[in-house]
Amino acid sequence: MPSKQEPATCQQRPTVALGLEGSANKLGVGIIRHFPPPPAGSGQRRRPAEVLANIRHTYITPPGEGFLPRDTANHHRSFVVKLVKDALKTSGLTPHDIDCVCFTKGPGMGAPLQSVAIAARTISLMWNKPLVGVNHCVGHIEMGREITGATNPVVLYVSGGNTQVIAYSHHRYRIFGETLDIAVGNCLDRFARTLQIPNDPSPGYNIELLARKGKHYVELPYTVKGMDVSMSGILAYIDQVAIDILNGNPRYADDEDGGGGGKTIITKEDLCFSLQETIFAMLVEITERAMAHVGSQQVLIVGGVGCNERLQEMMAIMARDRGGQVYATDERFCIDNGIMIAHAGLLAYGTGFKTSLEDSVCTQRFRTDEVYIAWRDD
Amino acid sequence: MTLFRKLWSFAYPGFSFSHFHRVMATRTLSVMPLGNVTLPSAISEALALTLIAQGAEAQIYFSVEHPFIPATYLTGTNSQPSAGYILKYRPPKRYRHNALDAQLTKHRTLSEARILYKLFLAGISVPQLIAVDPRQGLIWMENIDGQSLKSWIWAQETEMEERQVDEGEDAQAQKRVHIIKPVLLAVGSEIAKLHFLETVHGDLTTSNVLLRDSSRVEAITVTFSDKPMVKDPVIIDFGLAQQSTLPEDKAVDLYVLERAFISTHPIHSEEYVEWVLEGYVAGFGRGKKTAMFKVNEIMRKLDAVRLRGRKRSMVG
Ligand SMILES: Nc1ncnc2c1ncn2[C@@H]1O[C@H](COP(=O)(O)OP(=O)(O)OP(=O)(O)O)[C@@H](O)[C@H]1O
Ligand SMILES: [Mg+2]
Repeated sequence: MPSKQEPATCQQRPTVALGLEGSANKLGVGIIRHFPPPPAGSGQRRRPAEVLANIRHTYITPPGEGFLPRDTANHHRSFVVKLVKDALKTSGLTPHDIDCVCFTKGPGMGAPLQSVAIAARTISLMWNKPLVGVNHCVGHIEMGREITGATNPVVLYVSGGNTQVIAYSHHRYRIFGETLDIAVGNCLDRFARTLQIPNDPSPGYNIELLARKGKHYVELPYTVKGMDVSMSGILAYIDQVAIDILNGNPRYADDEDGGGGGKTIITKEDLCFSLQETIFAMLVEITERAMAHVGSQQVLIVGGVGCNERLQEMMAIMARDRGGQVYATDERFCIDNGIMIAHAGLLAYGTGFKTSLEDSVCTQRFRTDEVYIAWRDD
Repeated sequence: MTLFRKLWSFAYPGFSFSHFHRVMATRTLSVMPLGNVTLPSAISEALALTLIAQGAEAQIYFSVEHPFIPATYLTGTNSQPSAGYILKYRPPKRYRHNALDAQLTKHRTLSEARILYKLFLAGISVPQLIAVDPRQGLIWMENIDGQSLKSWIWAQETEMEERQVDEGEDAQAQKRVHIIKPVLLAVGSEIAKLHFLETVHGDLTTSNVLLRDSSRVEAITVTFSDKPMVKDPVIIDFGLAQQSTLPEDKAVDLYVLERAFISTHPIHSEEYVEWVLEGYVAGFGRGKKTAMFKVNEIMRKLDAVRLRGRKRSMVG
């Protein structure tokens, strides 16, 4: 919980934050600089934040295997010192230039979160700089807004552990829709495991590549409940089809116009294609529902799955047909990274927020709407 | 030939616009079509239609004319809803695969029409179905004259906020109990009736409940003679509705609504949800043993679904 909530202090000089992220299998370290807002009435534009370093190292497991908390934490522990050093070097700064040390407080996997929090505490004590605990999801949202310039979008946050449709109101990012069971990234990753697709660079990206070669659409369950979705039934269904195919029991496409006469064999490319078409259509649908509900014209996609170009394309078509706009970032900012933690942390720090050492424990469960967004007053 | 086109051939050109102004005066003004999706021209050319809402899935058009019964037939019969007619159009969604799109549009339109029809016959407060063309994604229904629960609550809250300074917190809270509570009790009880018929809505939000203006006698529910008259809630948008006997599905329905309150009406959501659920339990139970058993089971599931919701954000 927040330890100190001092009145908003307007920084008069540029501030710099170090950010550490390790809530899942990505370890990220970033350094960001914020500039003081231009004097009111000066007509000058706000100077955007400056990314001074953004370094990531991913713990990659062999095909067919997911990442376990203990091994992931080990990975983070072994690499964090090197990454912090590299980040300082890239930025050309010294510890002296840093104003605060930001770290992911949650949500995420316990052991990896803790391993990085320990690193953050150590750095904070060593350098004598205040700690700032950051909500991972808020990090994604704020970084997305900063990079794309979207002012008040409906946010689709899609990653390995989260699937949420979010909109801002009254100082909180409120969750309008989410998955009722597993996250979309998790669904893709697990299907990749079934197909024994490599986890390098990421299972989701490899599914995207295969999907581009898919032609035949296999009908799958479609499970939207209002602004919520459910993925587990779809995964169970398509897993079964895939297992059949891998075991040498071919399935045939039932396309009327394909000319195959019902003899076209479904490939794993077709399955990846169909899975993407189905679950992305569900995500676009709930995003559109949220847009209609809150009356917004902007969509921002954040989180690892947000790099998927097909998802971005579908979202763009939807937004265009509503007379709106879609905002998305590339792999550097979409996939978990340290810079977003530094950025969101520095925004909070700018309003006087700090996390005391006693309060710096991590929490696996930390909902997006628990954070009071003091730095926005729209 | 589709049912719609069959019905269409009845279309009567010489309709009088006599009560057009009265009806339109109470409607929201027309909205500009967003983007580039429009109604099939065969329909837009034959009837005077006004686009009045653009939902997530559908465009909603208002028409004074009945789609196929001549006005001369309708005058004096009680089958004429005084408030005009609504055409709900689900245009193709270009973002999704053609096969998926066609299947979803057909399925949802047909299922919405079936469920509307069934619920209306069962006496649930829903718009009366008039005609349907599933392939084209078209449903004609009765227009409900009145605003959505969402904008009504927003309007009430804004009004109360404006007077907050002179009246104080306590008076505000009392006002909510007086004005908003009876409506939310009625909403809860209407949802209970729906669930009692083993139908789940699938998208319960405060935009999918309309409050019918109590200008007509049958639109008024008088709970007790000494209590103020309550606006009659009408549930709409059954595109995601389903038949289900499972308590779990009903619990998810309530959970979806609860979350809609939390996200859309955050300041007093706790109170609002409590009132809806109070109305729900009352509407369900009414002392009968099996019904009480059912509703208790649903409430237990609701707790479980909520808990799952909070556990969900475990991995970042
Ligand atoms: N029978 C009706 N009478 C009056 N207004 C209606 C009626 N049906 C729909 N509307 C208006 O149109 C809006 C959208 O309708 P509806 O919810 O059926 O469409 P939708 O696009 O499926 O919605 P959603 O965005 O929830 O998916 C409603 O919120 C309401 O304002
Ligand atoms: Mg609706």
